[in-house]
Amino acid sequence: MQLKRARCRLIAASCALLGATAARGQDASSAAADSPSGDWNIDSAIAYYHESGRIKAIEPIVNISKDYGDGNTFGAQLVFDSLSGSTPNGALPSTRPQTFASPSGKSLSAAPTTYTTSSGQLVSQSAPIYAINPGQLPMDPNYHDQRIAASGTWGHAFTRLLHGTAGGKLSYERDFFSMSANAGLARDFNEKNTTLSFQVNNEFDSLSPIGGAPVAASDYALFAKGGGKTKDGVGVMLGLTQVMTRRWLTEFNLSVDRFKGYLNDPYKIISVIDGGGNTTGYLYERRPDTRMRKSAYWENRAAWGRVSANVSMRYMVDDWHVHSDTVQLHVRWRNFDRDRYLEPTLRWYRQSAADFYTPWLDSTAGNHIGYASADQRLQAFHAVTYGLKYGVKLDDSEDQSSSQFSVRLEYYRQTPDNPRAGPGSLQGLDLYPGLEAVLLQVGWRF
Amino acid sequence: MKINLRNMVLLAGGAALLGGCSTLGVKPWQRDVLARADMQLNAEPLDAAIDDHMYFSKEASSGGRGFAGGGCGCN
Amino acid sequence: MAVLADDSRREIVPNTNRAPDAALNIEARGPDLLAVRFSAMASPCELLLPASARAHAADLGAVAAREARRIEAKFSRYREDSVVAAIHRSRGGAAGIDVDEETASLLDFARECFDLSDGLFDITSGVLRRAWKFDGSDRLPAPAAVERLLPLVGFDKLRWEPPHLFLPADMELDFGGIGKEYAVDRAYQLIAAGRDEPFLVNFGGDLRANRPTARGPWQVGVERPESDGRAALILELERGALATSGDARRFLLKDGVRYGHVLNPRTGWPVANAPRSVTVAASSCTEAGLLSTLALLHGAEAEAFLAEQGVSHWVLR
Repeated sequence: MQLKRARCRLIAASCALLGATAARGQDASSAAADSPSGDWNIDSAIAYYHESGRIKAIEPIVNISKDYGDGNTFGAQLVFDSLSGSTPNGALPSTRPQTFASPSGKSLSAAPTTYTTSSGQLVSQSAPIYAINPGQLPMDPNYHDQRIAASGTWGHAFTRLLHGTAGGKLSYERDFFSMSANAGLARDFNEKNTTLSFQVNNEFDSLSPIGGAPVAASDYALFAKGGGKTKDGVGVMLGLTQVMTRRWLTEFNLSVDRFKGYLNDPYKIISVIDGGGNTTGYLYERRPDTRMRKSAYWENRAAWGRVSANVSMRYMVDDWHVHSDTVQLHVRWRNFDRDRYLEPTLRWYRQSAADFYTPWLDSTAGNHIGYASADQRLQAFHAVTYGLKYGVKLDDSEDQSSSQFSVRLEYYRQTPDNPRAGPGSLQGLDLYPGLEAVLLQVGWRF
Repeated sequence: MKINLRNMVLLAGGAALLGGCSTLGVKPWQRDVLARADMQLNAEPLDAAIDDHMYFSKEASSGGRGFAGGGCGCN
Repeated sequence: MAVLADDSRREIVPNTNRAPDAALNIEARGPDLLAVRFSAMASPCELLLPASARAHAADLGAVAAREARRIEAKFSRYREDSVVAAIHRSRGGAAGIDVDEETASLLDFARECFDLSDGLFDITSGVLRRAWKFDGSDRLPAPAAVERLLPLVGFDKLRWEPPHLFLPADMELDFGGIGKEYAVDRAYQLIAAGRDEPFLVNFGGDLRANRPTARGPWQVGVERPESDGRAALILELERGALATSGDARRFLLKDGVRYGHVLNPRTGWPVANAPRSVTVAASSCTEAGLLSTLALLHGAEAEAFLAEQGVSHWVLR
């Protein structure tokens, strides 16, 4: 027997034996074994999101979870968000002033109650009409929305190696209602070093756009709108999790989902431009009524002493011919006492444009357009996020249920790729300003 | 599927996992590092939820780690 | 082994007293310690707490007693409803048996110890009991009887693929070699959760403490073998575990040679020149217990073995 090494193995083996049995909490008596919140883990945060010159949002969120110790777990999440500010309506800037109606508006002829702010911007107050100065990106300043969503998931261990989950989610907004259900199975192999999982998700959404859902590709000025719309989708995901080494864990997911129904954005329009760059009118957008997406996702987590890292990549393609790459990197540095950490993060994202994305429509093309949308989210762009998170542990335990306070700050910038230069008078204008946003989040876990 | 660096990396990742699965891994008593809070795959669920919501409302892709449907009207 | 307070010489009451199993007796142990006593695992057990914890003493004692009895019942050789009995019922069958997580952890631990000790620690060695009866007499088994049992000994002969265990016909599993120390560690963990005040868990001489008492380290007394005229050995324990292995009570004596009850699984015979008592200090009771058992199996080399492991130890011959 190699003696010194044998003792190291013995120490490791006893730690594993006692660590494993302690973590299961078998027959733990109520006198001694509870976490501070009595078996329920509560994770809460409040996030403030601000897009420069656009939307502001406040989002409080709370997660509760409980492990019953007999293979059953339960988790629930409640989120509330409140948004307000300006959002682009899809139209292009022009050398002439433009007037639009917010979605509840019925025509462009009502005289707006306007005033000029100190920065020279014309703002509509209470009336649904807003005016845009020459050269500015058209944005609806009256956007506001509140949403509340709740979800719950049950987990059950059928055998020591086979686990199942089932859950549902409900979300309510002024103009949107969503409900979804999901179920999954996971099986462990190779002494729990490998886990294979399968999940199915089904979602049903009902939209009741403010002012009604516009007739697709119809003339904006006609305000031809109909009633509520619906869409639904199914998704499946296959996952493989593998312990690679003592310090490295990897996860690989393949997923496919397909949505059908009303996939348009009811509030977005497209400018119709003539050869000289003048806006001759606007049309509501029209998107296909199905969308199928496939994605591959790969995540790696590794740790060495006080440092841990998470690197992930995602590749997505869909049948609108959008394809995207995402790479994320988080590195967490814990201090010597391991009660604080600093975590810089980096995310890099790039997507191609949907094949029906077009920043404007050509007025000579007539009204027989196929699918078209000027929604910035469908254009080709790349985006970078820089983030920093700071966390402080509030108690002594090492596991996930320890109490913690954290603060996170992120900066996001989106920059369009290969934008098409505008014809005529539009050549001097910035048609694709991109997007900048900041996120500040404060969280408590206990 | 196009032949490019990204696809090759993802394919290689998937193949390596499938090929090596039965020989890779650790003994039950070697799970000390894997038990750390920051090594759990769902380590920061709230950060993930907030980020997913933010990116879903600004980009054309979503999901990967979880499902792609956003459940909100923001896209 | 007794845990004393200050200079008091009060000994642990042996298990021959009349208190029924379920009872918890709380008594003072010196001016600032309480002892909550109960019996479990055929041993006198106690939980020592500062006197200021009087309000919780009964609850904590109940936690320790429940855990000790749960482990005893679960891994007992004698109970029909124990996991060990279920494993024995499944032996020889093609299907084997699926065990729960705790049993699986113990089997993993047993396998690792079997590996690192080159087979000296072996939970399948209980079958040798069929040949050896340690009643203090001079009746040694016939060598042929021991030979016949050797093929049934060997952890490498069973198939352990968590959670499936295949135990060949006629083999036996015995968790007695680690059960008591494991119970000490488990009871310790349950009581230690979120508790800052000092305490000590002692199951029949295998013990573990979290921190020193307000007055200083715990004073632990170790009995010497009867032939030694000296008073008990007093050890000072600040934190961690102590476990003792020895053959003081169970042995055979023939022609002046003492045969201790700890058998070498590779030969089927006790080790020659084994120490009478080995006490080891380590951070967990399971670890200390393993080392003290292995030390006994090194016979004359016990002290050398323990010195090389770098643990504090006390060997009495």
